[in-house]
Amino acid sequence: MDKFANRLREDASHIDAEISAQLDSRIQASLAAIEPAAMRRQGPKRRPAWFWLASSLTGVVAALAVIAVLNVNDVDEPAAVPRAAAGNTVPPIGVIDLDVRAATLTDPLARELEYLQADLKKAEELVRGDVRIDF
Amino acid sequence: MSDELKLIDAAKGGSVDAFTELVRGYRGGLLRFLLTRCTNHADAEDALQDTLINAYRYIGSYNPQWRFSTWLYRIAIRNAGRLRTENLAELGDPAADGADPLGHCLAQSERDNLWRSAKRILSDEVFAAMWLRYVEDMSVRDISSVLERSSSWTKVNLLRGRRALEAEMNGTAGNAGSEAYG
Repeated sequence: MDKFANRLREDASHIDAEISAQLDSRIQASLAAIEPAAMRRQGPKRRPAWFWLASSLTGVVAALAVIAVLNVNDVDEPAAVPRAAAGNTVPPIGVIDLDVRAATLTDPLARELEYLQADLKKAEELVRGDVRIDF
Repeated sequence: MSDELKLIDAAKGGSVDAFTELVRGYRGGLLRFLLTRCTNHADAEDALQDTLINAYRYIGSYNPQWRFSTWLYRIAIRNAGRLRTENLAELGDPAADGADPLGHCLAQSERDNLWRSAKRILSDEVFAAMWLRYVEDMSVRDISSVLERSSSWTKVNLLRGRRALEAEMNGTAGNAGSEAYG
């Protein structure tokens, strides 16, 4: 070991680090009051071979029990909706008496055509009177 | 199986006596190390007590691939850091007032102790690396584990720390100290 390392080691030993009896008893008391924590979490327990068979049988039995209960008991039909009540809410569908008439949509147009022809005739007579000629 | 491993196994089983026997040889070195990291003697003692309590409580997590001392020092550094943080929060930084953390545990004739100079010129981590290397004789790998640093960082800062302290020891401290802060 070289001089430098020796010097460091020697100087470190000169640092007063005596553990007093009081500190020692304090540490002992602290240690006695605790216990090591369980650091490793326990894995899932290994189940026996018959566990899967037993659980399967249990499931089958439970399913059979449910089926049996459903079939043995009388199943109530759902209550029918009274017709009267339904009639109050839904309007009856029957033949509607419609008042059918022919639409006279062309009347105004025919009348308008007559007016136009009359206007044309009047205009023709006026022009004929002005020029005194016949077309 | 070595005696230490037997004691560790017994301690894992809840034997306080085995744990006490196990750490008996480490307590003095731990306290000395903690004295360099805490602000006063009482804090160092508290940190030692916390370190041993935590080590016993969590000994189940100890991995035998590491030296037991490496594991202990790692816990000690964490405890010292936590205690120091609490003190800083409550009292402010004593070092800022010119406090000398090693002054109270060194005799008057030891005022030129090189570790005192190391405390002054090295960062906490480089100081710890130097201590673990030269006092506890730990390998670079163990020091890296304790400080949770890379091997490269440890090697470089051990070299820089040594250079700075040698310069201090030879009275030629110049710029060497400034590069030792890793």
